[in-house]
Amino acid sequence: MKKLLQKIAKKSPWLYRINAGSCNGCDVELATTACIPRYDVERLGCKYCGSPKHADIVLITGPLTARVKEKVLRLYDEIPNPKVTVAIGVCPISGGVFRDSYAITGPIDKFIPVDVNVPGCPPRPQAIIDGIVEAIKIWETRL
Amino acid sequence: MTDIVKLIFDLLIFPGGLFAVAFGLFLMGIDRKIAARLQRRVGPPVYQPFIDLVKLTRKEIVVPETAHLQAFRLAPLLGVAGMMAAVLLIPIAGVYQGFEHSGDLLVLLYLLSLPAIALMIGGSASSSPFGAIGFSREMVMMMSYELPLLLVLLTVALKVGLATGGIATFSLSEIVQFQLENGALLFDYTMLPALLAFLVFIPGNMGVVPFDIPEAETEIVEGPILEYSGTGLALFKLMTSLKVVVVLGLAIALFFPTPLGENFLLNLLWFFLKCLVLMVISITVVRTSTGRVRMDQAFKFYLKYPTVLALISLVLTLLQG
Repeated sequence: MKKLLQKIAKKSPWLYRINAGSCNGCDVELATTACIPRYDVERLGCKYCGSPKHADIVLITGPLTARVKEKVLRLYDEIPNPKVTVAIGVCPISGGVFRDSYAITGPIDKFIPVDVNVPGCPPRPQAIIDGIVEAIKIWETRL
Repeated sequence: MTDIVKLIFDLLIFPGGLFAVAFGLFLMGIDRKIAARLQRRVGPPVYQPFIDLVKLTRKEIVVPETAHLQAFRLAPLLGVAGMMAAVLLIPIAGVYQGFEHSGDLLVLLYLLSLPAIALMIGGSASSSPFGAIGFSREMVMMMSYELPLLLVLLTVALKVGLATGGIATFSLSEIVQFQLENGALLFDYTMLPALLAFLVFIPGNMGVVPFDIPEAETEIVEGPILEYSGTGLALFKLMTSLKVVVVLGLAIALFFPTPLGENFLLNLLWFFLKCLVLMVISITVVRTSTGRVRMDQAFKFYLKYPTVLALISLVLTLLQG
């Protein structure tokens, strides 16, 4: 029974975007090409939700600036379990073009467990969708 | 005794309860699919809303620290209960009789405002500022679309009442019976403005895009349901799916209840087809082709066009009678 419910439930991952001080490049990729309007991840059952309380898969962009750190951590705590984190772009991994800046506290996985990394500056839409599919596989085991 | 058993069966299994939930969820799945096709996307499978519900029951429930616990928990239940009761009152010609008591139209009118009230209670009990904004907007929306709805119901009641020799009949089953004998009100030119007014009322009541002001996702991040997660959110989704059945079923009972024949299943299928066409016209196409309007614009719109249309029908009916 639990297995069956798991199998059904994994087809409805809802996405939530967090911008942790990104330059907006990855966000544009997320909002306007990769996900809903053009390449349509809704066919996988995904949906953007406005509230962190509805989210299943968290997409984090940006190098985690010092100013936004507390808010990102708080938002992350508000997302109900089970959840999966996907870091989009090269910034969450190393800081990208903002590397060694006094204003950033990243990399993000110092503070938040990151499950999937999608490198690129910005990553291609296909890569982002691939990352989401990876995340769904991980999410299924946690359901 | 058998009456009570039949009532419970009606409430929990056939026209209400399980059947209505499945019916509503399926309609919403088709709505999402058609919307996606209209935007040249593939779209989710039609059973997606069922999957969403299963998923939501497996999520953790997060309750805000400052929320009023009882009100926060009871609000979605109130909405679902109200809609379950409302489905019972909707007659499906050739399939289900509805409640044969005079005045069920008035009861339905009050039950129809319960989802909005549940959203208001939930939003204000969640103690989130977005919930509070959603609360006030929901209230304004309710005030703006209730007036045309009331006028449409009054027009139909007067039309049937005057034709059968009374003043106004507030019994849905009598209205349906009248139309079965004398032809559907859809083909009566005096009722066309009222029908248009009802079509305009549907997106406002369902809270879809041009009038999704209380739950504006991109602006106040879903307002009243922002703080709900897990089963609470699932109950709100359930409430919306039941509301689709109630609102579309009411429109069909008021204007075009004509069944196909004697066959039970065929009539049910015919009812489903009518619901589908009505939904595509008044919800799917509208929500994919427009953008959200402001609160004051929506308020003015509802007090201008649907109200005037419904009034035209009312005057025509009175002149005829």
